[in-house]
Amino acid sequence: MTFREQFQRWRYNLVPDHLIGEILTKRWTDNAIPFLALVLTVAGFGTAIQGFFKPTALVESTRQLGEFSIVVTGLTIVMLAGGIDLSVGSIFALATFAAVSSVFIFDLPVWVGFLAAVTMGAAFGAINGYLIGYMRLRAFLTTLVTFIIGRAVYDILVVNFAAQIQTSSVTSKTWDFIGDGRILGVSISVIAAILIAIMAHIALTRSRPGLHMLAVGGSRRSAHNSGIRVRETVFMSYVISGICSGIAGFLIACRLSGAGPGTGLNLEILALTAAVVGGNSLGGGRGSIAKGAMGAIIVLVMNNGLIRLGYGTGTNQMVLGLMLAAAVVLDIRWLKNRHKVLDEVYVAPIYHRMGETQSALPDSGSPYALNNRISETDYIGLGELEGPEDVILDRNDHLYCGTRHGEIVRFFAPDYKKSEVFAHTGGFPLGLAFDKEGTLLSCVGAMGLYAISKSGEAKQLSAETKRTITSIVDDARLRDPNDLDVARDGRIYFTDSTTRYDAHDWALDSIEGRPTGRLLVYDPKTGETKTLLENYRYANGVCMAHDGKSLFFAESWACRVHRYWLQGPKAGTAECVIKDMPGYPDNINRASDGSYWMAWLGMRTPSFDLALRNPGFRKRMTRRLPSDEWLFPNINTGGVVKFDETGCIVETLGDMTGTSHPMVTSMREHKGYLYVGGILNNRIGRYKIPGADPKWTGAISYWGVAL
Amino acid sequence: MILDPLLDLLRGKAVTIPPMDGALRPNTMLDDADILKSCEEPDNIMSVAEKLVHSSGRDIFAMNSGKPIASFESDITALAVNPSGIIAVGLNAGGIVFQKGKIPPLDGFNCPTTLAFDGAEDLYICNGSDTHSANEWAADLMLKNSGGSLWHVSLASGERRCLAKNLSFPYGLVVDASNGRVIVSEAWRHRLVSIPVQGGMPKPVLAKLAGYPARITRKTSGGFILCLFAPRNRLIEFVLQEDDYRNAMLGEIDSRYWIAPSLSASRSFLEPLQNGGVKTMGIHKPWSPSRSYGLIVELDSNFLPVTSYHSRANGTRHGITSAIEHEGGIIATSRGGNLILRVTPEAGQA
Repeated sequence: MTFREQFQRWRYNLVPDHLIGEILTKRWTDNAIPFLALVLTVAGFGTAIQGFFKPTALVESTRQLGEFSIVVTGLTIVMLAGGIDLSVGSIFALATFAAVSSVFIFDLPVWVGFLAAVTMGAAFGAINGYLIGYMRLRAFLTTLVTFIIGRAVYDILVVNFAAQIQTSSVTSKTWDFIGDGRILGVSISVIAAILIAIMAHIALTRSRPGLHMLAVGGSRRSAHNSGIRVRETVFMSYVISGICSGIAGFLIACRLSGAGPGTGLNLEILALTAAVVGGNSLGGGRGSIAKGAMGAIIVLVMNNGLIRLGYGTGTNQMVLGLMLAAAVVLDIRWLKNRHKVLDEVYVAPIYHRMGETQSALPDSGSPYALNNRISETDYIGLGELEGPEDVILDRNDHLYCGTRHGEIVRFFAPDYKKSEVFAHTGGFPLGLAFDKEGTLLSCVGAMGLYAISKSGEAKQLSAETKRTITSIVDDARLRDPNDLDVARDGRIYFTDSTTRYDAHDWALDSIEGRPTGRLLVYDPKTGETKTLLENYRYANGVCMAHDGKSLFFAESWACRVHRYWLQGPKAGTAECVIKDMPGYPDNINRASDGSYWMAWLGMRTPSFDLALRNPGFRKRMTRRLPSDEWLFPNINTGGVVKFDETGCIVETLGDMTGTSHPMVTSMREHKGYLYVGGILNNRIGRYKIPGADPKWTGAISYWGVAL
Repeated sequence: MILDPLLDLLRGKAVTIPPMDGALRPNTMLDDADILKSCEEPDNIMSVAEKLVHSSGRDIFAMNSGKPIASFESDITALAVNPSGIIAVGLNAGGIVFQKGKIPPLDGFNCPTTLAFDGAEDLYICNGSDTHSANEWAADLMLKNSGGSLWHVSLASGERRCLAKNLSFPYGLVVDASNGRVIVSEAWRHRLVSIPVQGGMPKPVLAKLAGYPARITRKTSGGFILCLFAPRNRLIEFVLQEDDYRNAMLGEIDSRYWIAPSLSASRSFLEPLQNGGVKTMGIHKPWSPSRSYGLIVELDSNFLPVTSYHSRANGTRHGITSAIEHEGGIIATSRGGNLILRVTPEAGQA
């Protein structure tokens, strides 16, 4: 091995590149940028301003923060529901006036003042909501109008009543407590803000109306199609925003005991900046209350910090504007490109050196030498079928296979001309097996292990196993359950090929070559699934040995077959019985003469084997070329291989023409015939096996019955 | 976007190739063309006194006969005939010999790829590579060589002149004496260049071809017929940029199984396969990426493509290395498909 190759091995096998991609699949990574901005802002102004972290200063800043973040919470909700609310500042000011005037002019109790503020907010929110939700007006223009009108009304009221409020002699302890009091050193407004944020968070993530709002924001039409009352939801989001502004307005009224021309001025700009800088998407549907809160802190610290550092209003507004612009650009670019970044980062190939193999060329004279025997099959379901990954026959000789449409199709004996949809699974049915009672079991791609009753009802047996502690992407979920077989005691042994990719991306797994395949067992008595073995390169076909003491399973991308011992001295361990084959093994099934059939889904090529030793090459290939151009193993030629109990190759069948069975993923012997399936094929082939026992069936072999 | 060059450093620059569009829009005219003859790797076809003559392996055949007119020690790589019927033959082992007449063989050309007479005495020769023989063209490409040259030999005086050096596998040649230039197809640079007959800098006349150009011949109407013997392929272009992988491939793998252009459609399961070329539901997609392709392009007198004839990824009439106009049709040799075809242009334009 050259030094370069050795280095590649270290570099790609020891550095866990795949973790970056796995972390990026997490939605919480969206919070990373606003969180970083938050830390930088607080740290920056904390060091620039003396006494920034002093308790008295903090109390003053956090009190402002309380009122402000309540407004931001309301605005965040509107944005999550796909709208925008520019009128928060006006509503805030009017609510302040409502509270102040009820207490100081009309001498009403404080709770009436609170109610007045909230009602004012709710009323204006309702106007917005009605116009936008029910009348279907544009959110931006509508709230701009309410903003202008609200502000105008407020200005008129303040001019006429300011003097009256200022000269009022009314005092109230409750009022002053709300304005200045603290509980455990925390201002009332901060407590209110925290309570509202928690409530809003729970409502959005755990309650039906909250999820409806996110759904409407994510896609209005889809939400409508799934039965959500879109108009009502939109209406409610504005009402909630109005109420939040109302509460904030009441709190500031208590703190300042008055209302002036400056109340709530430019608040909408601050709040909008906060919500967007926090990372809430302007397009709706993506974001959270926590993001809004982070944004509120960033904006307020920035705003107050700049004032305390002596910068004027102009600079302040300029910084806010620039922040908003940066956040909007980032939001749009990130949303648009996130999946691209993920695609490019996710595939993280590793170094793997395949062993020297015997040739499979027809004239090579090796046991693997391919011929043309399965090109001469009779076709079943040609043109009707799409993607029979596995095939199986029941005790009445009917033929079953999965299709890529998620169905299990049954062809009727004896001529297999007529067919019906036996069951619909919704996933891609891959491996098939019958248990002792004649229930059909299937590994359904991307879904799990299913049992299909004789009447064709699918029932999930297992969709998860135990999670590995170190896993980042949840590997408890069965991502690519592939093939299964049933032991005499009824336990179902099956493989989950990879934890890195979904079933339809199986080829990407071959390019990556990371060993994440597993062998699992499902116990029907307890209903539990256990992981027996892990870290195989695409664990695939499973087959019980004839004596039931062990099972064979295929490791596709390593071109190996292993034996896992169920009984005897080696119970619970696996050993490799066939290695370095020239083809990639898929399903394994019993043969009538006491040996085993194994499907080859494709053939190794020198160029791909070399690429496996060049992980950097494969990584760059996936990034620089579109997927159609990627180098693959040669899966246009497959075959069927027969091996005996010791792993010796007995014979090999092939289709060199590539017209009948280019890729073989399964084969099943039944009464002297071999039924051949392929996941990318549009037919099942029926091949008469010379000299095979014409009475032998899987049911007899497994259960000793021919019922 | 303006940031793309910066981002490319992080994400890797996309490998792109010119699309087959406009005059190069794919059709199945080569797949539908009449078969004139089946023979092993027909290569250079030409018309000698109105009769079609072609090379195949070590032999020269007349079109209507299975018996060779002449046979040589080594594979024939190029043919040309002068007005008096003397045939110049380029050999894979190197050198050019003459059939009929008493002209001594020309030594020193290790990779004659195409020959053309201008009158009876002036012979133009393209030497594809200074390191590889004509049959080793794939290695020459994968090593990114550009050691090809264009020569003029005066048969009367025996004087030879090099008109241009450092060409990337010149594979086609047509003499445009009235304009004092020679048009050469530079395969590895996917272009046609014009080189003055007295020698000088090559000037591109048609660039960014979607395939690797082979021989070019003149039409009576004033245009040209250009053969492209293999398609450009993004994986191959990518491998050309991957030095470590490519060098290992050249060193360890049999040249038949390289990720390199090919004259014939896939014949062995040991050949590389690309995702798009996977047979799905019994269908090999004609638009899938392929290492081989059949393509003839008709050019006008300004070398602009006018029409084209294709055998796509799912066809087998690939590796067209020469084509000439004959009795209103185009006769082409599909070296990869082991066929000689006759394309009738009217059929496609109807």
